[in-house]
Amino acid sequence: MNFSTLTNKDKGKNNMQGTTAFTNDSVLNTELPQLAQLKFEDLSPAYAQANRYIDLFSTLLLISLLFIIQLQSFYPLSQEVTNVFRFIIWGVAFIGAMSLTYTILADKRKFYALREQDLSYKSGLVFRKTVSQPMLRIQHVELKRGPIDRKVGLAKLQVFSAGGAMHTFEIPGLPLETAETIRQFILDHKDVNHHG
Amino acid sequence: MDKSVKATNSELEPNVQVNDDLQNTKDWQRISPIAILYFLVKFITGLLSNILVLLPALYIGYDNFMAHPHLWAPIAFGILAVVIISTFLSFYFFQYRLYQDHIEIRSGVISKKYVNLPFAKIQNVKLEQPVYYRPFGYTCLQLDTAGSAKQEAKVVALKTEFAEQLKKEILAQHQIVKSATVNINDETEDSSLPNEHANEVILNTRSISDLIIHGLTNNRIWIFLGGLAPFLDDFGRYIIDFFLELGIDLEKILTFADKPMWQIGLYALTLTFIILLPFTLFSIAASIITFYNYTLSKVGDRYIRRSGLLTKYEVTMRLARLQMVVRQQDWLDVLLKRINLKFEQSNGALNQYQPAAQNSRIIVPSIKTDECKVLIDDVYPENKMMSINYQRISKRFLLRNLVYILAPIFIVLSSFFITVDKANVMLAITPIYLFISLLIYMRWVRWGYAKDDNFIYIRKGYFGVDYYCFPIYKAQQVQFKQSWFQQRHQLCSIRIVLASGAQDIPFILQNHGYQLLDNALYQVESSRQSWM
Repeated sequence: MNFSTLTNKDKGKNNMQGTTAFTNDSVLNTELPQLAQLKFEDLSPAYAQANRYIDLFSTLLLISLLFIIQLQSFYPLSQEVTNVFRFIIWGVAFIGAMSLTYTILADKRKFYALREQDLSYKSGLVFRKTVSQPMLRIQHVELKRGPIDRKVGLAKLQVFSAGGAMHTFEIPGLPLETAETIRQFILDHKDVNHHG
Repeated sequence: MDKSVKATNSELEPNVQVNDDLQNTKDWQRISPIAILYFLVKFITGLLSNILVLLPALYIGYDNFMAHPHLWAPIAFGILAVVIISTFLSFYFFQYRLYQDHIEIRSGVISKKYVNLPFAKIQNVKLEQPVYYRPFGYTCLQLDTAGSAKQEAKVVALKTEFAEQLKKEILAQHQIVKSATVNINDETEDSSLPNEHANEVILNTRSISDLIIHGLTNNRIWIFLGGLAPFLDDFGRYIIDFFLELGIDLEKILTFADKPMWQIGLYALTLTFIILLPFTLFSIAASIITFYNYTLSKVGDRYIRRSGLLTKYEVTMRLARLQMVVRQQDWLDVLLKRINLKFEQSNGALNQYQPAAQNSRIIVPSIKTDECKVLIDDVYPENKMMSINYQRISKRFLLRNLVYILAPIFIVLSSFFITVDKANVMLAITPIYLFISLLIYMRWVRWGYAKDDNFIYIRKGYFGVDYYCFPIYKAQQVQFKQSWFQQRHQLCSIRIVLASGAQDIPFILQNHGYQLLDNALYQVESSRQSWM
């Protein structure tokens, strides 16, 4: 798709100079497809919402458990242990709050971009990372759905390359149909003589 | 086993006869009973490598044992019976079959394993001959495939000639499959099979002195010593007691207060040498055992490495499988002007810490500069690894590591020790801090990158220098990383993932990073070349 913009530019130049059709423009990097100009799509809002609930719920659950242990009368605790428990509960609450804040902020900064030839995923709050995988190098694609994904109608897309298990990337929080569409697009695109 | 005798007797038409043999293995074959030796050794090494787990059990067992010494006979007998039965069963349940250009293997006593590899998908063929197979002329054949379903198959005992023929058959298969898509003349490949050894060109050999140098320079003793750290106290006490018996009071000798500096220095140096010596010898011995009789040769587009003193290894690598060339020099290598050249294949990342011989990666140890240039130019004729200009990474790398991370740590530690009135600890901490600063600075100096039409070049290191070179179209995945801090200064870090592992370049100009990655993606996507 970006190769057609190349021809249009040539045509423009010719008309302005009023010369013959011969051109000898250098193919600068600016005329190639650019990562800096990727058009990113958001993940499903249900994903961020589910994450918030999970974070909140698990923190509250942990705190309640600790409270129960502290206040139960089956196995009375000494004063020091009770104080330590109070400290731990505050600690858990604090960590939970931090984690929730981070999750809320970080989920806003997760995007993906699908071009004709590659798939990209961008994430990270302070340390931002964009992973780009050419379709040609995709070994296989899998849809992964945890129990929460199933409830909310989402899926994770896992992309495997020959780079090894360490460099598999995963796009979370995709609506199921979108995930399936992307997967089908990738499968259709892969060439016949690709070594699998 | 009858079949392999047939293979060696027929010299008139080796090809046809062997093909018959290979294709006639329709039924499941058991391997030679020689394999029992192999399983025995595997069992024992398995026991030894898990010794840490067994030690507590052994300890308890020993206590009980000392209480009932008459039990030694039945216990020993019991252990022996277990060993014999398990190795025999491992041999009994190992079967293989060659049928329609597939190799199938059934193995496993309790947990059964079944592997089916089509010849065309086999990436590597390795021959491994343990020392106890040598008098009998047997060898192990190891096959692996690449791709998302990485499979391995190891036939643990085959007659050497049969294994060689099978290897050639498998490699020829893949050549024919590839030729079909690339339109190369098939006849030349087939007819060259019987004459293959004649076409084999030896590119490099290593002499014992080269291997000794390699052992010296590739000393991994620091890691080893690190692992010994918990035992150093006991070890030290043991040594002191030992010398006391000999009438030498080490502790008196080693007190520093009343000695001139030169004497202390001398003692320190001597002590260091005495400690280093056994480990260095160990490292040299390991080098000789791994690389004895090293030859690197080439047949057509295949590179073959053979070496080994006890177990003989043979690794074959197609040029197309090569992902990256690494020209590596530790600081000692730089001093002695030697280079370790590594040809990285797929799976290279996983096998990082495997013993050098068992890798699919081909290492040419401790070669000289001109030898190295010849070999690199052989695989990548257009490369400019040593002539191209490398771009330095940003000074902000130094800023972040030295000023924002290291210095604060040092300041905090110093203030802590000074306030706790232990200022003499600074005598140890300050040199360490200075040394680490120097390391970080050297790391920055060394880090460089360059690109031409075909390759990306990366230079890294501390006091040693490593050069990495790979064809751009082999990239699997690219990553553009930019922290909030880097964005303000328009810097970024990039990572290019190959089938052999990832390469990072940190703190480079943002537009350079984008250009490198855009170009890599373009080359992969437009050239449509396979990465292997």
